[in-house]
Amino acid sequence: MTIELSELRDAAQKAFPADGLRPARDASWKLIAEMGWLMMPLSEEAGGLGLGRDAVATIHFEMGRVLSRAPLIPALLALQALEKGAGLADQAGWLERVASGEYVAVSLEPKNTIVASGEVLTGTLRAVADADMAGHLLVCAPGLVALVPSNGAGVTVTERPLWDESRRLFDVTFDGHKVAPELIVARDNAADGIAASLRAELLVALAADALGAANATLDMTVEYLKTRKQFDRPIAMFQALKHRCADLKTRIVSAEALLWARAGDPEASEVQLGALKALACEVFRFTAEEAIQLHGGIGLTEEHHCHLYMKRAELNRWLGGSADDLNEAAGRAALAA
Amino acid sequence: MTDQTTLDALRTEVRIWLAANAPKGWRQAEQTHEQFAAAQRDWFLKLVEGGYAIPHWPAEWPGGGRSLAEQKIIYEELAKADTPRLLLSFVSTFHAASTLMECASEEQRARYLPGILKGETWCQGFSEPGAGSDLAALKCRAVRETRADGDVYVVSGQKIWSTMAQYADKCLLLVRTNSDGVKQAGITFLLMDMKAKGVTVRPIQQIQGDEEFCEIFLDDVEVSVADRVGEENKGWAVAQATLSSERGLTLMELSYRMRGALSYVAELIRRHGREADTEVLRQFGVLSARVDSACAIADQFLENRMNGIEGLGDASIVKLTYSRVLREYALLGLKIGGLDEQYRAPITFGDLNTGNWMADYMNSYAWTIAGGSDEVQRNIIAERMLDMPREPKNWVVA
Repeated sequence: MTIELSELRDAAQKAFPADGLRPARDASWKLIAEMGWLMMPLSEEAGGLGLGRDAVATIHFEMGRVLSRAPLIPALLALQALEKGAGLADQAGWLERVASGEYVAVSLEPKNTIVASGEVLTGTLRAVADADMAGHLLVCAPGLVALVPSNGAGVTVTERPLWDESRRLFDVTFDGHKVAPELIVARDNAADGIAASLRAELLVALAADALGAANATLDMTVEYLKTRKQFDRPIAMFQALKHRCADLKTRIVSAEALLWARAGDPEASEVQLGALKALACEVFRFTAEEAIQLHGGIGLTEEHHCHLYMKRAELNRWLGGSADDLNEAAGRAALAA
Repeated sequence: MTDQTTLDALRTEVRIWLAANAPKGWRQAEQTHEQFAAAQRDWFLKLVEGGYAIPHWPAEWPGGGRSLAEQKIIYEELAKADTPRLLLSFVSTFHAASTLMECASEEQRARYLPGILKGETWCQGFSEPGAGSDLAALKCRAVRETRADGDVYVVSGQKIWSTMAQYADKCLLLVRTNSDGVKQAGITFLLMDMKAKGVTVRPIQQIQGDEEFCEIFLDDVEVSVADRVGEENKGWAVAQATLSSERGLTLMELSYRMRGALSYVAELIRRHGREADTEVLRQFGVLSARVDSACAIADQFLENRMNGIEGLGDASIVKLTYSRVLREYALLGLKIGGLDEQYRAPITFGDLNTGNWMADYMNSYAWTIAGGSDEVQRNIIAERMLDMPREPKNWVVA
């Protein structure tokens, strides 16, 4: 990790300390804006920090560690889409507003049924993050990327309560909504290019989120095993439990090595990032599963934190594309190599 | 650290040299273990001549004095060119060399190091039937006696799992010179001639048909006191230097070779007409990512070492990752290959990812057991990285 990245990480850990799990969304959002993280990937010419994917991943990693409720992942996706949307009227104004805290919501599920017929949208967008705090949504349909007011004509926003209470997702249904010309971000190939780059960034962001959270899950579990005494000794002394923790540590650290290698490689393909995301989310899922078992009965209680990680882990697996789809694509690519 | 221009130039230089000198068709040519050993000797001497055999040695040696970044490039290129791995000379150039350089006397260095570059090979006489993971429990006994031409240690006992000992000229030997007190405090480190009277080597037939390891029987073998490294009863510390001689390059090389060998999985999928089988494709995708993560963690370990950072347990993570992925690689081949893989096929000596899936599967155990088993690595990770408490030591039979 470079000095720049480790400074970023340290700043994030200071702003969001490990003991403040699931910090409140609105206060976090304010702090995130103050930290300048909303302008990280925006180029310096456009008034941003011009930081790369590895810097962004560093922050998502830390937000995963504290199970952040703030929609930083979709916010940065929207920002990146808007920066690429050269056709957008008042692009500079949009970039400035979004980089300073106006939230534009994005779907975290690339598979959707949205169809654009000309500028008219129909279909349902699933897994739109925190649509309740967004004035506008960014919609990717085949051949069209556009902004839509969340209270626009023919737009219905419905919250879908989740098991994972660290995130809020909404279904957005379009019933023939006509996009205003000044809100069109891109069309045709340019639009599909933006959609592809958002899918790629989402995959890295989710991988980072998952591994940050997996680290926190294991830290918490190891601490518990050191404190919990049975048979007159800390249960961390039992080799049966040690070996399981060591396996988790090994899986996490090696998946993390791949995360930083890919995040630092601008040439990494969407397929490679997908395989990384699938791996990272499986590591987190397994860590969370083991965490509950290793905690015993207390891990099943609402008051303990185990389930918070487990629920986020289960949700993360399905955002950005399922492991089956991503792994299949990776297998196809390896076969063609 | 070496600057990028120098590194790029080295890479080009190595590539050109390999294009002219890398052995071709070596897998087919090595039908017996003897042919394998002979080919290993030739390739090592050629690499010495080219200046790429001992990049990790100090600069006064021809081909030595390479930075870790340069060593990494040489190993990457050797892996990419699919050259035979240097197995026969491995203990000599790493374990023997670092023991001699770090712990031996000037006179011992002068006596033994030049021979290594001429192809003299060494083996390791550490493990015993009763001392595996608990190496310090070793019992091979050495008694000091006086002879007309100087004192000797008279050694009796048995060593096991000595890699390529059947071809070795010399042996790094751990013996017990004192049985009182702490077991680590009675161990002495000797340099033994494998042709000495009383040394018997018996290769061990492995499950896949290779004979990579040997037993060594020692029956009143005399080793001159001049061939003791360090002081009497202080050999345990010397052994630590021996065992920590190789830090990461091998696992990086092996991980890269496994990545190259993913092509065997692709071939297998095609041969069995499973290109459209989504479940097979998914598993291949998972394996590719796992292999990539093994490469990434090996790279990260070396990168950290270049920056002078190495945490307790880091090496264990790299080894445990590699050994698990190596097993997964073989298991996927066996699964796709089905019954076909149960028919015997010739093995390739000294290669871990060959596309002979039963052989690869059986070979993968070498990495989960040898050099500190997966279970020992897990203990290290749990106790030193995660700071989980050790088990009480004073276990007594009830």
